[in-house]
Amino acid sequence: MQFFGSSDISPSPTVPTASGNNAHMMYVFNRNGVCLLYREWNRPLRTLDAQQDQKLMFGLLFSLKSLTAKMDPTTAEKGNLGVPQLPGQGCSFHSFRTNTYKLSFMETPSGIKLILVTHPRTGDLREPLKYIYNLYVEYVAKNPLYTPGTPIRCELFNTSLDQYVRSIA
Amino acid sequence: MAPVAPRSGDAIFANVERVNAELFTLTYGAIVRQLLTDLEEVEEVNKQLDQMGYNIGIRLIDEFLAKSNVSRCVDFKETAEVIAKVGFKMFLGVTASVTNWDADGTCCSIVLEDNPLVDFVELPDTCQGLYYCNILSGVIRGALEMVSMKTEVTWLRDMLRGDDAFELQVKLLKQVPEEYPYKDDE
Amino acid sequence: MGREVAESCVDSILTEMVSTYCNRFYANKPELAARRIEAIGYQVGHQLSERYTMERPRFNDHLEAIKFICKDFWSELFKKQIDNLKTNHRGTFVLQDNKFRWLSRMSIDPSENGDLSQDNPEAAENKAAQMTSMHLYFPCGIIRGALSNLGIPCAVSADMSNLPACSFVVRIKA
Repeated sequence: MQFFGSSDISPSPTVPTASGNNAHMMYVFNRNGVCLLYREWNRPLRTLDAQQDQKLMFGLLFSLKSLTAKMDPTTAEKGNLGVPQLPGQGCSFHSFRTNTYKLSFMETPSGIKLILVTHPRTGDLREPLKYIYNLYVEYVAKNPLYTPGTPIRCELFNTSLDQYVRSIA
Repeated sequence: MAPVAPRSGDAIFANVERVNAELFTLTYGAIVRQLLTDLEEVEEVNKQLDQMGYNIGIRLIDEFLAKSNVSRCVDFKETAEVIAKVGFKMFLGVTASVTNWDADGTCCSIVLEDNPLVDFVELPDTCQGLYYCNILSGVIRGALEMVSMKTEVTWLRDMLRGDDAFELQVKLLKQVPEEYPYKDDE
Repeated sequence: MGREVAESCVDSILTEMVSTYCNRFYANKPELAARRIEAIGYQVGHQLSERYTMERPRFNDHLEAIKFICKDFWSELFKKQIDNLKTNHRGTFVLQDNKFRWLSRMSIDPSENGDLSQDNPEAAENKAAQMTSMHLYFPCGIIRGALSNLGIPCAVSADMSNLPACSFVVRIKA
């Protein structure tokens, strides 16, 4: 599916990754902490039940956003630690990497948070995450059968997401 | 990676799927007429149009953000400009302008001279008090709420009532940043 | 080409119109909701048909009028023609659109089994089918309104047994 013909968003951005590996998992949250989507492709280790796992992930990102903004050495104006921020305020953290995985994050001003966990050698996923946001717009936001704020149960979205993620990870 | 600049309204409009404005204008007109028949009270119709607009706005915001590449939405002044220049253009194909800022930058007017919703529309005398385009005020209110801005949107001028333009007053009531949503005891 | 707006505008207003009538006004009376949605479609179809046939001579027979709906009319609305037209030569026509635009984003996934508190899949599927058919009352009304403007009274229903293809069954009243 082509979106706008512009070169800003292309279906398969060149991303240096280890080929043949699948992405591990994906989360989509809304501004209220509701987990709209949890998609798992390759997750051998699971230590918590689904609900706790999702809350942990959301909480982790919430704290990270606040921390990274507070630690920003380039600006004098910082919110206080723990004080809620407006989307787009402060610096925007977009990924962290451990020896076993990379977590890539994108947050929209409308509070939609996309989290993709992949192989640690994955490159910059900011463009792919934007593409996935576009998939969300096409198949979820514009789906007459979807009620905003509820978990996404949409075959068209799942299929296009699976297909796209397979092509980038 | 350098941050990507937001796209212009014209560029986006040229790239989205478009349809005959007539279909849109006539459908909207038929809906308003049906609402008038079913609800009878003009005030009720105004309310319903606003509610419908709100429901549309909360979905439309994501399409707007995705296509316009806007990644930050902090300053109300900037937000109003973006709605007028990019928002109206990419959906309705027309540009609006922003005027009448108050001293602390929390209230402004969005002015529209060209409005596809009202093409060929004339209000009969029986519709006194109807804000025919009230869906627009709901859309703006809903969309802004999703980016943490609670606003009040009211009509100052309405071409269907004899004024020379459509003027919407958008007043920022408060900014509502995201709170940690889970109770700590869980 | 006359003035244009983003397709999103039409999609949004349709979705919200159906939702308003089905979920808010006539939540427990789907037949009433359906009738209103069809009536709105009828008005639109009538007016559009009037505009698109202003500079034309009248159609010779029913088949000509139906073909107009399938070709020119459908193209103005959906940028494509009806893919398949069938008739029993006794006043019934079936117009098939293989990828009806207004249904193209409708999708559910009742087989998701992550959430234990979810409705049973059958209920979810039924609800989806009901909402989908509610959306189809609008184009049925459009077709009925358009034909009515051409002097052809009829009844129009939708058949969605073959998604994403959608058929509109036109029964001309004698």
